[in-house]
Amino acid sequence: MKKFTKAALAAAVSVFMLVGCSNQEAANNEGSTGEKVTLTVWHNWTGQDAKSVTMRKLLADFQTAHPEVTLEDEGLPTDGLKTRLRTVAAADEMPDLFVMWPDAMTKEFQKGDLLQPINEFLDSKPEWRDNFIPNALDGYTIDDNIYSVPMNLAPTSFIFYNKLLFDQYKVAIPKTWDELMTAIDTFNKNDIIPIALGNKTNWVAQSTIFSTLADRVTGSDWFLKAVNQDGAKFTDPEFVKALTVLQDLGKAKAFQDGFNGIDETQMMQLYFQGKSAMVIDGGWALANLVSNAPKEVLDNTHITIIPSITGGKGDAGSTAGVVGTGLGISKKLTGAKKDAAMELLYALSGPDGQQATLDSSTLISYNLELDPSKANPLFVELHELMKNVKISPVYDAKLSSAAVEVTNNGLQELLMGGKPEDIAKKIQDAQAKALGK
Amino acid sequence: MNTLRSRRFIIMGLLPAMLIYALFVFVPVIWSAYYGFFNWSGIGASSFIGLDNYVEIVHDPIFWRALKNNFIFVGAAVLGQVPLALILAILLSKNNFLQRFLRSAIFLPMVLSTVVIGMIWQYIYHPQIGILNFFLDTLGLESWKLQWLSDGKIAIFALIPPLIWSFVGLYLIIFMSALQNIPGEIHDAAQLDGATGLRKLASISLPMIWGTVQVALVLCISGSLKSFDLVYIMTKGGPAHATELLATYMYNSTFTSYRYGFGSAISTTIVLISLILIGSSQWITSRKPKQ
Amino acid sequence: MNIMRTKKGLFWTLLTGYGIFTLYPFFWLVISAFKTNEDFYSHPFGLPEIWHFDNFSRAWESSKLGTAFMNSMIVSVGSLMITLFIAALASFVLARFQFRLKGWIMTFFVVGMLIPIHSTLVPLFILMKQMSMLNTYWALIFPYTAFALPTAIFVLTAYLSTIPKEIEEAAFIDGTGLWGLFRRIILPISTPALSTVTILSFLHSWNDFSFALVLINKTKLKTLPLGIANFADGYQTDYGLTLAAMTISVIPTILIYLIFQDQVMKGMTAGAVKG
Repeated sequence: MKKFTKAALAAAVSVFMLVGCSNQEAANNEGSTGEKVTLTVWHNWTGQDAKSVTMRKLLADFQTAHPEVTLEDEGLPTDGLKTRLRTVAAADEMPDLFVMWPDAMTKEFQKGDLLQPINEFLDSKPEWRDNFIPNALDGYTIDDNIYSVPMNLAPTSFIFYNKLLFDQYKVAIPKTWDELMTAIDTFNKNDIIPIALGNKTNWVAQSTIFSTLADRVTGSDWFLKAVNQDGAKFTDPEFVKALTVLQDLGKAKAFQDGFNGIDETQMMQLYFQGKSAMVIDGGWALANLVSNAPKEVLDNTHITIIPSITGGKGDAGSTAGVVGTGLGISKKLTGAKKDAAMELLYALSGPDGQQATLDSSTLISYNLELDPSKANPLFVELHELMKNVKISPVYDAKLSSAAVEVTNNGLQELLMGGKPEDIAKKIQDAQAKALGK
Repeated sequence: MNTLRSRRFIIMGLLPAMLIYALFVFVPVIWSAYYGFFNWSGIGASSFIGLDNYVEIVHDPIFWRALKNNFIFVGAAVLGQVPLALILAILLSKNNFLQRFLRSAIFLPMVLSTVVIGMIWQYIYHPQIGILNFFLDTLGLESWKLQWLSDGKIAIFALIPPLIWSFVGLYLIIFMSALQNIPGEIHDAAQLDGATGLRKLASISLPMIWGTVQVALVLCISGSLKSFDLVYIMTKGGPAHATELLATYMYNSTFTSYRYGFGSAISTTIVLISLILIGSSQWITSRKPKQ
Repeated sequence: MNIMRTKKGLFWTLLTGYGIFTLYPFFWLVISAFKTNEDFYSHPFGLPEIWHFDNFSRAWESSKLGTAFMNSMIVSVGSLMITLFIAALASFVLARFQFRLKGWIMTFFVVGMLIPIHSTLVPLFILMKQMSMLNTYWALIFPYTAFALPTAIFVLTAYLSTIPKEIEEAAFIDGTGLWGLFRRIILPISTPALSTVTILSFLHSWNDFSFALVLINKTKLKTLPLGIANFADGYQTDYGLTLAAMTISVIPTILIYLIFQDQVMKGMTAGAVKG
């Protein structure tokens, strides 16, 4: 692509002369002659919610503590940040530090030779390195090189339920699949939506419901084998069974009509209005509940995990989840600039950063105690629950991006009456193709 | 006239527009078409694969679904937006308060952000608390209640009213300005005939602004073939690709599935299809007798 | 006669009804801007329980909307000026002169209207980087201009082609040169079409999100759509603030529309061109 670029450049330069712009920006990139360095940081902490506010405060504190570093931080909404990162990655123009997602994104960026490993820095602080929860660094590790550490933890599937409605209709909190089916039946008879679902943005059903449900049926080992196309295939009977279980849930009218047409906001809205008894969503829903739900709904909301499935091979006490985002560091950094970047990484994701994150009612992938007096009771409940719950893989974190697209659309099709076998085949084909098998 | 001077004027007149356009639109378009021949994730190494991306597109059922949906949109826009805008432009040509109000009201959706429009229509179509189903209920038409955006068979048609509604103002204003060119006398004469004169007015006005109608058709076809925002906000191309469009298909391939080369090939395909459609629309409309 | 009048009355009533229906989203936007999130969730259609006027001031301060507003003004007005001038010039040439490559030039401009802009993001970014225009206003002004040109040229050329030739001939007899003809005759005569182009181009650049997202990454150069998007952080949107910011951002476009809609209609009230 070099030649083409050159031709375009020639054309560009000639017009550039014509319009006559200033060319000061280019000179900005050098640095590190003195002690002063500039670091650019791109993140998605733009909101007014507790976590965003905390992260921005950590950045500001770092700036105050390090006058020799000039931080140029820029916040973007999550989707915008992803699009922007993809664009600049194509042009090899990464910012110095940026919020990076584990697994797929980390792998892509590493393959493009855009990232800097942090092993050395991590090993210099063993008490920090060793205090992460088991497997927390896996999503950031490629060939023994570690590229970041998670700043939070995102279990993707919890049942948030309205106890008031359960009591009113004398329904037990479901621990087994049969109990769940009974609950669905009872609520439907009484014109209450059993489970609110908003699957327009089509990863919702996959990430919040199916990842855990399928793990219950197939077990994590089978799934990881199928992901690598090594001794298991998505056309295997276990996976078809998992799809059938989800389809049966849909057929039993567990979700309200038209769930493929509304988004996550409208899904929470149905729950907030007391129209639904349950909603299945990730840990991130908690902040939304705490700040936006009407008081009588919030006070009666409790959290549990998806019930066990008879005959399933998976661990009934697990829930799907991913470690949260970390900070990626650009390959190009050297010298004082690199040192400053590592310091910033430590400030945000080191013990103090993790503590601040936890105090903002956000789950972390790091072993720390929660001070119950500081947090919202619902968050304390979630934090307690997490102590006894294991994390199983989420489909969209492990599958190739192309297979994720196929899975998300396939689940919509499944819930609209598609045949489980056909959908299983499409997912199998996409994953096999992505791996070149 | 001095031909040398006018030739220089032609060049000087076209040069700035052509230069800026060539550099910031045409070069990126060609550049992206060039990526279409590569297997490239958008990051790192790429490999030349010739026409393989195009072969894959032609064999991809989602592409054909998207193309069909796009044709539905083109049909709705050409047969819905343009005639509606034309009629409204002729009707609302006076400068009294009511007509000014109506013109502004019809144009208003153009001004609002697509996000707001998408939000509103989602609440109109909402299966539980939606306005449309509520009205059907009160009118006793329960059987007409549908899952507007989540039933794969009707979702694409449910997107047509918001689409027409939000863009009709664009064509209205283009036609309004074109109608200003019709000499006042013709207008006054036609106006005298009153309501029945509407058809007469159309038969006089239409030939006079035929060039603008052609422009509107080009805008309409190209706009419908690359439409993205509203659909992306309202359905994301779902459920299960039911409302997939060429542009959403391209966007998902490029930015969600990490297949930059493939996405570029789709967008080049969009350009080619549009060129064919616009070429034939120009050919058809230019054969109409001009008066 | 009476039946006809009733029919006519009914027709205008229906049309007015449609007009009011069309205004509803705007009304909804404005009233929702005064709500809290909780209120928005519980009563999406109702009036606010409490009118939170402070949503506007909070939106304005917390996302530095003032700066974003100025930036949007600069790039939108900047690209509008360039678009108007060069598009009018090119359209004058294309509508009034006969030369060999004319058809090809028009086709050349059509292509730009067909491309979905998302596929140009990466090439444009690389281009801007090599021209060292990234993070300047020019990084937005030029693409906005370039993408507005085809529509502008098409609308203007179609308009100018219908103007009677006698007008120019009269000017030539007076001894006016081509530039004079363009400035003194063509530009004023095109007011309705130029106003249309003004409204459309301004709207286009004022509301653009994609280019601004990719080509600008300095907080102090951010435009309004980016500032507004900041209130939504993926999983949790503050609707009161978002809609308040959107209400603020819609004001200039409505003003532009109201001002220039009168210009669009000018030709007619002035009796148009005497044929």
